[in-house]
Amino acid sequence: MMLLIRRFEERTYQEYTRPGQKIGGFCHLYSGQEAIAVGTAAIFDSAKDYLVNGYRCHGHSLALGMSPRAAMAELFGKATGCSKGKGGSMHLFQAAVGNNGGHGIVGGHLPLAGGMAFAQWYKKTGGVTFCFMGDGAVNQGTFNESLNLASLYKLPCIYVVENNGIAMGTQVERSSAEKDLVERGSGFAMPHYAVDGNDVDLVIAGFSTAKQRAERGDGPSYIVANTYRFRGHSMSDPLKYRTKEEAERAKLRDPITLYTDRLKIAGLLADPQLQEMEQAVAAEINEAASQADADPFPALQDRFNDILAEKYPFEPK
Amino acid sequence: MTRGPKAHGVAVGDKPMPQIQFREALRAAMTEEMERDENVFLMGEEVAQYHGAYKVSEGMLEKFGPRRVIDTPISEAGFSGLGVGAACCGLRPIIEFMSWSFTLVCLDQIVNNAANIRYMSGGQFKVPIVFRGGNGIAHQLAATHSHRLESVCARIPGLIVVAPSTPYEAKGLLKSSIRCDDPVIFLESEKMLAEKGEVPDEEYLLPIGKANIERQGADATVVSYGRPLQRVVRQAVAALEQDHGIDVELIDVRTLRPLDVDTIAKSVKKTNRCVIVDEDWGYCGMGSGILFKLQKRCFDDLDAPIEYVHSDEIPVPFSHPLEEAMMPSVDRIVTAVKEACYR
Repeated sequence: MMLLIRRFEERTYQEYTRPGQKIGGFCHLYSGQEAIAVGTAAIFDSAKDYLVNGYRCHGHSLALGMSPRAAMAELFGKATGCSKGKGGSMHLFQAAVGNNGGHGIVGGHLPLAGGMAFAQWYKKTGGVTFCFMGDGAVNQGTFNESLNLASLYKLPCIYVVENNGIAMGTQVERSSAEKDLVERGSGFAMPHYAVDGNDVDLVIAGFSTAKQRAERGDGPSYIVANTYRFRGHSMSDPLKYRTKEEAERAKLRDPITLYTDRLKIAGLLADPQLQEMEQAVAAEINEAASQADADPFPALQDRFNDILAEKYPFEPK
Repeated sequence: MTRGPKAHGVAVGDKPMPQIQFREALRAAMTEEMERDENVFLMGEEVAQYHGAYKVSEGMLEKFGPRRVIDTPISEAGFSGLGVGAACCGLRPIIEFMSWSFTLVCLDQIVNNAANIRYMSGGQFKVPIVFRGGNGIAHQLAATHSHRLESVCARIPGLIVVAPSTPYEAKGLLKSSIRCDDPVIFLESEKMLAEKGEVPDEEYLLPIGKANIERQGADATVVSYGRPLQRVVRQAVAALEQDHGIDVELIDVRTLRPLDVDTIAKSVKKTNRCVIVDEDWGYCGMGSGILFKLQKRCFDDLDAPIEYVHSDEIPVPFSHPLEEAMMPSVDRIVTAVKEACYR
């Protein structure tokens, strides 16, 4: 799955940048952060758990089972996209599996996460809500309000900061007076700790602790998953704020290599198998992209649909 | 006393109609709907242990318990967004704001989340939530606490905006709003909560998106809603008849989005004159929006330009005489209607 996400994002990059650009608008790639989404999916119960996200949402959506075609078609603005071409890259939704969306406003979705966890608590479903955000979101006012409310009501919510060290172009050191983002989770009477976001096994272990706590009814947790994004903030980002050396160093901790090396050492994966996987993923992405390309744009009349759920005048019985 | 159900064409028989306060009507609507549907809950600042900042939810904590009547910290963005998230996941929250003025710090939750999630997900979610509270100019609360949010909310596709003008309207419209699967902005007024009016014991519901012709008339159509109707418009209409012989058709639009243009246009076709009254600022105000919807539809039926009586375009002053002076008055409305009638 990590490989699928990586290749999907590489294809997205190509489709965005090559002549005859098929993807418009803002587009934020997940390359380098895959272990977090995939680790989450490993412990996620689609029947009762929810995931809600900021705008860097391709990876989590694929990890929770969105087909690459539905995701790519959405990026292309096609009718077959997961949100019928009305959301785009930042707003991938798949309600049927508990993927409650990518959300475009930094920190704007943090209150929503509490509400989703509130619904799980109110209906006693036993589910938990994973709320992902970037390191920029901790500086929004909603961060304070949401974490406080969730802890006050003991909601089954897990807040995860995917700390790639840089909010668009502003390093954590230049945006957070407290340099240690784990400390930003203090003051809410909830566990706050870091995990290595590049290591899928450690992600699973760290997130499972929080999930069990939420399921016990003990309330929310705050986790900083340290990682690195290989690409720019969005497609227009020339990455002038970081050095080549830094990027090279980060690649040594590529979550995919880390994991495949571990599997190889354990004798669970051999090079020919890995090559087969690479080929299968490449074929899947190719097929998804050509299908999405061939898919129709939404009918122009469809722009008026999906705004309201009721017909008006509304006269309830 | 405000007009009761008789004015709304409801048969009442010989039994005298109970008189209840506006706040009691709101409470009755919430209570009945919470009894009817387990998924409805009430959340907001001071709604539970304090019994409501304006005593709207008095007794509801005792009746429904702390799971369904929930106090929040002073975190408008936090709890309004929490409501939206809960609505996306099958609950039907009623979110009380102490004042709509305080929603300026959480408009992102209302505009970007409540109104947009259904559209941006291609219809995968519905957002059945009611945001309610006091809107507009109350009494010497000064500029920060006297905002009128109707024109801000009514221009947003994906939102429904309702403004009740009597206890009867409040109960029927709030019950329908709670049953509505779309996000409803429900605009009350602190100054109306003690107002009494006739409300039947029997259950009733009022339609959303349908204007109410409150008074039939032949000479001019006056269009208004909510608090201005109670404060000045009804008085002005009575004065126009008594002192000037002008027979006004008075329309309470009830729902500001979607606007029932048909009912207004039909009335203007009959009277050929139209005056809009609200407490908003005029430029880009609620009445400007209504005017935009009417001007083309009604152009051929109009014998005079549409008049718009609104508040002065200044921050709301604290001092009582200044505050009163900035708002539409009986005199201003009478003058505008006379002007529309060339009298």
